[in-house]
Amino acid sequence: MNERITGLETLREIKHKVLENHRKYRLRLMLCGGTGCRASGTHSFKAALAEEIAHRGLGDEILVTETGCNGFCAVGPVMLILPEDTFYLGLRPEDVPEIVEQHLIKGRRVERLLYEDPQTKQKIPCMHDIPFFSHQLTWTMKNKGYIDPEQIDEYIARDGYAAAAQALFDMTPDEIISEVKTSGLRGRGGAGFPTGLKWDFAKGARNDTKYVLCNADEGDPGAFMDRSILESDPHSVLEGMLIAAVAIGARQGFIYCRAEYPLAIERLTIAIQQAEQRGLLGKNIMDTGTDFTIEIYKGAGAFVCGEETALMRSIEGRRGMPRPRPPFPAVSGLWEKPSLLNNVETWSSVPRIIWGGGDLYAKIGTETSKGTKVFAVTGKINNIGLVEVPMGTPIGDIIFDIGGGIPGKKRFKAAQLGGPSGGCIPAEHLNLPTDYEAIAQAGAIMGSGGMIVMDEDTCMVDMARYFMEFCQDESCGKCTPCRIGTRRMLEILENICQGKGEPGDIERLETLANSIRDTALCGLGQTAPNPVFSTLRYFMDEYKAHIFDKKCPAGVCPDLFKAPCQNGCPVEMDIPAYIALIRAGRLDDAYQVLKQTNPFPSVCGRVCGHPCQDRCRRSQLDESLAIKDLKRFITDYTTPPRVAPIPVVHTEKIAVIGAGPAGLTAALEMKKRGYEVTVFEALSEAGGMLRWGIPAYRLPREILNREIQEILDTGVVLKTDIKIGEDLRFADLESQFDAVYVSTGAQKSMPLGLDGETAEGVMGAVEFLRAWNMGEPVAVGNQVAVIGGGNSAVDAARTAVRLGADSVTMIYRREQKDMPALDAEIRAAQEEGVAIECLADPVEIVTENGRVCALKLSRMRLGSFDASGRRRPVAVEGSEYVIPVDTLIPAIGQKAELESMSDKIGRDMKKTRIHVNKDFSTSHPRVWAGGDVVTGPAMVIDAIAAGQKAAASMDKTLRTARGESPWEQAPGLIEIPFEVDEEIVEQPRAKIGELAPAHRCKGFEEVELGYDRDTAMNEARRCIRCDVKIEQG
Amino acid sequence: MVTLTIDNLTVDAPEGSTILEAARNAGIHIPSLCTLPEIHHSPGACRVCVVEVERARSLVAACVYPVANGMKVKTSTRRVRKARQQVMEFLLSDHPRDCNICQKHGNCELQQVAELVGQRDITVPCTDFTRHNIDDSSDVLIRDMSKCIHCLRCVTVCADVQGVSLLTPEGRGFDSRVVPAMGHFLADSACTYCGQCAVVCPTGAIVEKDHTDRVWSALEDPSLHVVVQEAPAIRAQLGEEFGMAPGNLVTGKMITALRRLGFDRVFDTNFTADLTIIEEGHELLHRVKTGGKLPMITSCSPGWIKFIEHFYPDLLPHLSTCKSPQQMFGALAKTYYAQTEGIDPATVFVVSIMPCTAKKFEAARPEMRSSGYRDVDAVLTTRELGRMLRQAGIDLAVLPEGTYDAPMGQYSGAGTIFGATGGVMEAALRTVYAVVAGRDLPSLDITAVRGLDGIKEAALEIGELGEVRAAVAHGLGNARTVLDRIAAGQADYHFIEIMSCPGGCVGGGGQPLPASDEKRTLRAKALYHDDGRVQTIRQSHENPAIKALYDGFLKEPLGKKSHDLLHTRYTARGV
Repeated sequence: MNERITGLETLREIKHKVLENHRKYRLRLMLCGGTGCRASGTHSFKAALAEEIAHRGLGDEILVTETGCNGFCAVGPVMLILPEDTFYLGLRPEDVPEIVEQHLIKGRRVERLLYEDPQTKQKIPCMHDIPFFSHQLTWTMKNKGYIDPEQIDEYIARDGYAAAAQALFDMTPDEIISEVKTSGLRGRGGAGFPTGLKWDFAKGARNDTKYVLCNADEGDPGAFMDRSILESDPHSVLEGMLIAAVAIGARQGFIYCRAEYPLAIERLTIAIQQAEQRGLLGKNIMDTGTDFTIEIYKGAGAFVCGEETALMRSIEGRRGMPRPRPPFPAVSGLWEKPSLLNNVETWSSVPRIIWGGGDLYAKIGTETSKGTKVFAVTGKINNIGLVEVPMGTPIGDIIFDIGGGIPGKKRFKAAQLGGPSGGCIPAEHLNLPTDYEAIAQAGAIMGSGGMIVMDEDTCMVDMARYFMEFCQDESCGKCTPCRIGTRRMLEILENICQGKGEPGDIERLETLANSIRDTALCGLGQTAPNPVFSTLRYFMDEYKAHIFDKKCPAGVCPDLFKAPCQNGCPVEMDIPAYIALIRAGRLDDAYQVLKQTNPFPSVCGRVCGHPCQDRCRRSQLDESLAIKDLKRFITDYTTPPRVAPIPVVHTEKIAVIGAGPAGLTAALEMKKRGYEVTVFEALSEAGGMLRWGIPAYRLPREILNREIQEILDTGVVLKTDIKIGEDLRFADLESQFDAVYVSTGAQKSMPLGLDGETAEGVMGAVEFLRAWNMGEPVAVGNQVAVIGGGNSAVDAARTAVRLGADSVTMIYRREQKDMPALDAEIRAAQEEGVAIECLADPVEIVTENGRVCALKLSRMRLGSFDASGRRRPVAVEGSEYVIPVDTLIPAIGQKAELESMSDKIGRDMKKTRIHVNKDFSTSHPRVWAGGDVVTGPAMVIDAIAAGQKAAASMDKTLRTARGESPWEQAPGLIEIPFEVDEEIVEQPRAKIGELAPAHRCKGFEEVELGYDRDTAMNEARRCIRCDVKIEQG
Repeated sequence: MVTLTIDNLTVDAPEGSTILEAARNAGIHIPSLCTLPEIHHSPGACRVCVVEVERARSLVAACVYPVANGMKVKTSTRRVRKARQQVMEFLLSDHPRDCNICQKHGNCELQQVAELVGQRDITVPCTDFTRHNIDDSSDVLIRDMSKCIHCLRCVTVCADVQGVSLLTPEGRGFDSRVVPAMGHFLADSACTYCGQCAVVCPTGAIVEKDHTDRVWSALEDPSLHVVVQEAPAIRAQLGEEFGMAPGNLVTGKMITALRRLGFDRVFDTNFTADLTIIEEGHELLHRVKTGGKLPMITSCSPGWIKFIEHFYPDLLPHLSTCKSPQQMFGALAKTYYAQTEGIDPATVFVVSIMPCTAKKFEAARPEMRSSGYRDVDAVLTTRELGRMLRQAGIDLAVLPEGTYDAPMGQYSGAGTIFGATGGVMEAALRTVYAVVAGRDLPSLDITAVRGLDGIKEAALEIGELGEVRAAVAHGLGNARTVLDRIAAGQADYHFIEIMSCPGGCVGGGGQPLPASDEKRTLRAKALYHDDGRVQTIRQSHENPAIKALYDGFLKEPLGKKSHDLLHTRYTARGV
């Protein structure tokens, strides 16, 4: 089949022949041969497959076709089986016999090679049912994965070159351009200039020689749209260029493709050869007398050559440097001739616009941004790959529905759009539609379609620094602002990342960024400051943390922390040190290290939310270290350091209201600094939420009592049963003490806001737990429902189980993966028989005789994204259902009681919080506050951190008034060993022993048993000591 | 014409002109660093000339942005002034702050523009400086890229004007720099040493290697007999070094100044220019009569010689074998003059004052030692002589007129016009005509070969020779055009004059700065004034000192002595 094509008729004949040939085969196996899948082993699989098919004599019924990029690069190599639409992924040569035997011969799908939904764990056999594909709409990429890109006939069989024939035979140049204008297509290279208009300019330019150019110099970090299109459907680009050549009257075209795309160049070369052979390119195309030749020009990979004037200079054989415009290339471009340049995606969109009609395309998308857009989605996302969606699709839909969300329960932080010229879209803008204007308004650019997803472990200052470095490395050096200005910005950013940032740096960055944007010669320079603009806009806090606190919150900038675990700890416990000391067998020293920063190590070894573990670098190898359990091990296996009374050396007196972890920590810290400290506690014993909120099966009371006693042993005075406002007026405290620290916590449950909440059988989780822990009689019915998904909800549910409830159900309005409670706690609750009902929300409390008897729930679905970046649950209309309930425990939040406090301290009665400054001072000059009363319910370690920081601030204020400098802790004198295994062997985290669920449900015995010595030693050995910086010789 | 508004002024400007041109014509000076209209160089690179154009997204570079009807331009709003200062601050932040000891001190466009935009501080962090090795590999030019501001003028002048294309930006971003291609050092490159890059460089990034110290040392050495020669163009340039208007002929003051500096004899290169005409004229006649290689091309300009040696080695036989006047002078000073005066030639130290940087290279060529000694010992450019005189406290403007020493100080007007493009041709044709026809040209002014047109042609009926066709090119880019024609067999000339520098020696690489075509025209005018109005003898063969030289020493043109002392050979060099 090599006959010359002379028009639509021959094209139809070829299509017919190809389809007829396809019908001869029972199954067609479309094996992805894109760069990604090739790298993961397409060819070894293909060879094995071909051999097995031949061996089993299936050659006549099974056709194997190697296609271009299928798009689902994360799970390659992938294979689509037509016509049945079965989709296999992660293929290895050893899978071949099973596929052939089971699927190809017996017609049974190989389950283990099918896609599995990460939520439901269900297998999804058909490609079009997999969310990654089902949410896409392909236009530009409609042929991807369906054709062999090296066979022109396969392209023709999918109506290829029909549009070109139509343009050549049936359309005037003006009609062609008008169709493109009707489609509303805008340049997909990034700037979004209306394509039809550009063609019009090029057509209007008077010159015998004109050029049609394709920009395939894709260079943004993380972008691979153009490469994939060229690899999977090269003819669509050639056809688009040919149509434009007809429209503007050009006889020569160039594709400027970076040399780093060898496969794209190979397939383009083949495509051009075949098109020439068939009379679709070259001289006298389809016998119409039209000539159009396309040449490939290989670029050497300079990013700036993506800029059109630089690209043209490069084709001319000169150094790729941009020149000022005007004149625009449509008037004077390549060799000073009128030149029409579009990028790969734009060209590839054109044939279907001409063939199907521009209005069809214009129906897709938004008012100003028509059609579809291809995105290369990469970074911290599950489904790395290539996606095509209608313009206007919310960014969140791309990331979560198609992209499958963020791996490893990490939080989404931002998506970088438009590469180094673009900006980031933060979590609060996940509903942003992907249209040119909306994205620009949010401070990013559509760009060519690179979308780099970043999670909480990404430092946005470092990200800005990276892109600035990229621009600096890729600047051609021609104009001053880009050559020197971006370097100056880079230096400021580097300083900030290295902890050498200074006040004024942010303003300096802004000034320089504005000037560079205003004065640079070309797009590269003008947009180089964009990542800085957008990170300053959305992540100013991170800049400030780097500059003023010398902290990198994400734990990325290596000069600003010792180890990521320590950086992630609110009190910056020296984790690598105590783990090294465990390994060295020096447990007493390890305990000393614990106590240096944390008065409650034993408590934290049991109930801390351990943000440190989420940061552990070991997790990049296998699993993060069990830091929490190791901490507990130290306190289990050795005696605490001796505590001696601390003398009072200052005259100022300190009052602390509330003996929870925040208050006790602040008291101890002030005591250490030599003050007389009195703690007032409304209840009968100290401990706050640790005692009254956390059940004893998680935190045995003798452990808590011991650590509180160690604080009191220093000489802190505790006065219990004194409630401020009732037993003692706040005004009296004010007059008797020089500084007051308010840490009264948040101990009232938030109401659901439904009628019947006062009915019998309804009690807030906090109240429920406190009553039980205080020894008050608590009546738990048979059918308990707990509303909420946090740790308090789990505590209430597990306590209810222990109190004898028949059934306990947790009701949560989002998905289980969104529950804020610790995973281990949720798992333990489930083991103990707690049911979890997700995507449900109470709408009515049904009562009978003043007592709750049932709960009406509504099914929820996840709607648009809220400011936290999570999907907002929305009630599904008409989905209400009723469950019987005799005990209802709302656990949806807690609030503080502030009525008795002075109104001078910045009470926010609406949010029931005290508003504090950065140093925990309030609007009252002698009152500080911290803990849950400021933040709402948070981790113990946050309360401890709040107490420490408030104490430092109180001390500083008092000393400054006396003209002294603030207290500084004496440095620890414990020498920390450095010992690591020479070779790190994969080894999962050591499991901690637990009581069996059946046994533990009967009482409040501690569930977790702690490590034994050998297990702890082994676990400590897993630390890779990433805190140690080895000097480079 | 289009009409636009600049700073609320209604301005008419020709279509296709830039905002910068329109503004300057309207009396609004927009500062700029990179643009240089004379060499058609407007890369829009430095961004100092940014202005606000209504409805434009960002500021635009006035030097490249074309005017349009109804355009509204603002050239000194706060936004514009701040942007210019910021750009200037960027440039200064990456510039060595050693202005006081820089060769371009006081003559530096970067300094001037910094003053114009009012930049007074550097507050951006500049932990990183461009620190590149200084290329002083050659004995002619020094390139210090840490002073480079990337105006790219040198790249354009080297490629577009001189056709050499030696220089190119290399590297990326902050580390990019302008270097000889392939990372060669200048000394290992195809650089012609024409020095035009140094002429256009706005800063001290490209300067001539200063040889004044060699000359001071010679003058201070009592055992040496130091003689000096000055190229024809010097007398029309030197005044500018002392604040005089371009085109002032300062021959007499220059002689006095040189004598005061301590030179033992003040001679003139014009003398050997006349001699060159005799030798070269006879060589042309010989080639025409004997069927020698034609067209014959002049060989006075050392940058040109190096150019053809690198790029057109096949055409070397077209070159006249005559040494340049500088080298003829040196060879005679150490033979003829030393003999005549009875001085040990080993003690004769020849200094030449040249408008040219390539002359430093020429003087050092190994074949330029036919006297048994290095013909010329030290070469100073006009700028270097200016520096020496200022160091010596000699104010040229107020000096009395001096006269040349004998025997190598006497010259004709034909010698003087060597300094302007076409001058050699004009001088040669006068003599050739006279020799062949036995009488003078009806008019000694051959105006067809005068002026700044890139390639000029003339044809003259000369007695038995018939029509003699001549061409004149200046600037190596034009030379390339002519050579390509010769190589293609399309150059039906007998004689071609080629000068390396635009305008000839009056536009040489060693000329006073800043340079311009206007100045070059005025300087040439002064030389033609000397020829037409000052000198009574206007033809080389009529110079009595030349006659005496032949009578007493050389005997005959193209004779054995001439061959030994005044003629040379050429070397094919790689690109």
